[in-house]
Amino acid sequence: MSHPLEPRIAAYIATQMLDATDVTVRDLARISGGASRETYRFVGAWRQGGQARERKLILRRDPPASLIDTERRIEFEAYRAFHGTSVPAPEMLWLEEGDGPLDHPFFIAEEIAGFQASPGLLWNAPYLDSHARLAQRKWSILGEIAKADPVANGLAQVMPGVAAGDCWNRELTYWEDVLDDDEAEPLPIIRAAIRWLRANPPPPAQKVGVVHGDYRTGNFLYDPDGQIHGILDWEMAHLGDPLEDLGWSLNPIWTFGRRLAGGLVPDAQAIAIWEQASGLVAEPTALHWWTLFNCVKGQAIWVSSARAWLDGGNREPIMVYPAWAMTNAQDRATLQVMGRL
Amino acid sequence: MIPSVPAVLVDLAGKVMANAAPDVNPTDRAGTLGLSALLMGLAAEGLDSAAHHLVMENRAFRALLAKGAAYVPPPAEHAEDDFRLSALAAENGRLRAALILLQTAVEGRDEVMNDAIWSELRASTERRKTQGSAV
Repeated sequence: MSHPLEPRIAAYIATQMLDATDVTVRDLARISGGASRETYRFVGAWRQGGQARERKLILRRDPPASLIDTERRIEFEAYRAFHGTSVPAPEMLWLEEGDGPLDHPFFIAEEIAGFQASPGLLWNAPYLDSHARLAQRKWSILGEIAKADPVANGLAQVMPGVAAGDCWNRELTYWEDVLDDDEAEPLPIIRAAIRWLRANPPPPAQKVGVVHGDYRTGNFLYDPDGQIHGILDWEMAHLGDPLEDLGWSLNPIWTFGRRLAGGLVPDAQAIAIWEQASGLVAEPTALHWWTLFNCVKGQAIWVSSARAWLDGGNREPIMVYPAWAMTNAQDRATLQVMGRL
Repeated sequence: MIPSVPAVLVDLAGKVMANAAPDVNPTDRAGTLGLSALLMGLAAEGLDSAAHHLVMENRAFRALLAKGAAYVPPPAEHAEDDFRLSALAAENGRLRAALILLQTAVEGRDEVMNDAIWSELRASTERRKTQGSAV
């Protein structure tokens, strides 16, 4: 049974590939997860220069309401800036910001096929022996992102700038505003964390760099040898303090119950890999600030997910899952980082 | 649990029914039903203890707010005679908001009181912990 989106996607691709004929789309399947964007894989086929061609592709489409509101152009440009560099990222093909072709804005990219993204698979064979190598790659690539020059790669032209001394305040204010707007019940632990963060600001960023914004186990494509083939989910990318990404990767919510950074290695090992790759220093009090900040950010995201469902903007079951499964765990993570658990 | 369990179950019932139709795309159906099953499991786990946890928490919060009356006037007394989850959760929200005000007031001024608040926040978080919790 073909999916109703298939002919519409094919019609759109035909408008973008003017020298192609007989464009068709098949095997469209939604990839589970994706609470901020609807993600589908499909095969695009066409004739070009008398030859039949096909390519595995990904469609990322905005849902009616999301758990995070982001600029899809920034996400698109972030992928584009890193594609072909030491930071593996899929090739971006087309960005559509109008509602006409597929009801909501979307982009289409190449699919990096044949690898896994789900964290759950990592805790079983054949992945158990790969954790140290995977961690080496994971935090080395994060160091490469931190090292990247946003002026040279063009992202400084599309992402709002920020002064080194204001990175922390801009991010904290943004996510506090999200909580103010979206929380459906008062959150004493998170509010106490915010008060502490405001009373104990971190030093200015060592550099203003590209921050991925959601760099964690689960947002990259890996293989059983511990290699990483694609960094995904750049929808929260922005300019800021590179320690923000390191702090997000150390948020205890991403330990998956294993008490290891990203479920893979001790925190100290992850930090050492990142420092070596980035050439930056993870000063402990500054990193602690950013790790706690990321607990606040995480809770704001889970709260927004519930809000999108409550307001009726998005009644997909995926919007309930973070609110039910992550809210308490994020509170526990916050207590842990604050030394209260 | 927010959104509330009854509201989510009503919505899921509609989704399950809609996905029983033969013309639903199989991958869309698999995705919706898989996640629906996951949520039903979470609802089942949380529902039995939900009222108990809210009652315990509300009592503990009231006691803390009474103890901290010198810093922040406690909210008006509320008769504990409605044990529906929606009523208990509404009262819990009212008490949590008051507790935030109290903790803000005592931080740096009364560490004994502050520690007592943290202690209950920790206990409440432990009570609400789910089986598959990531932390």
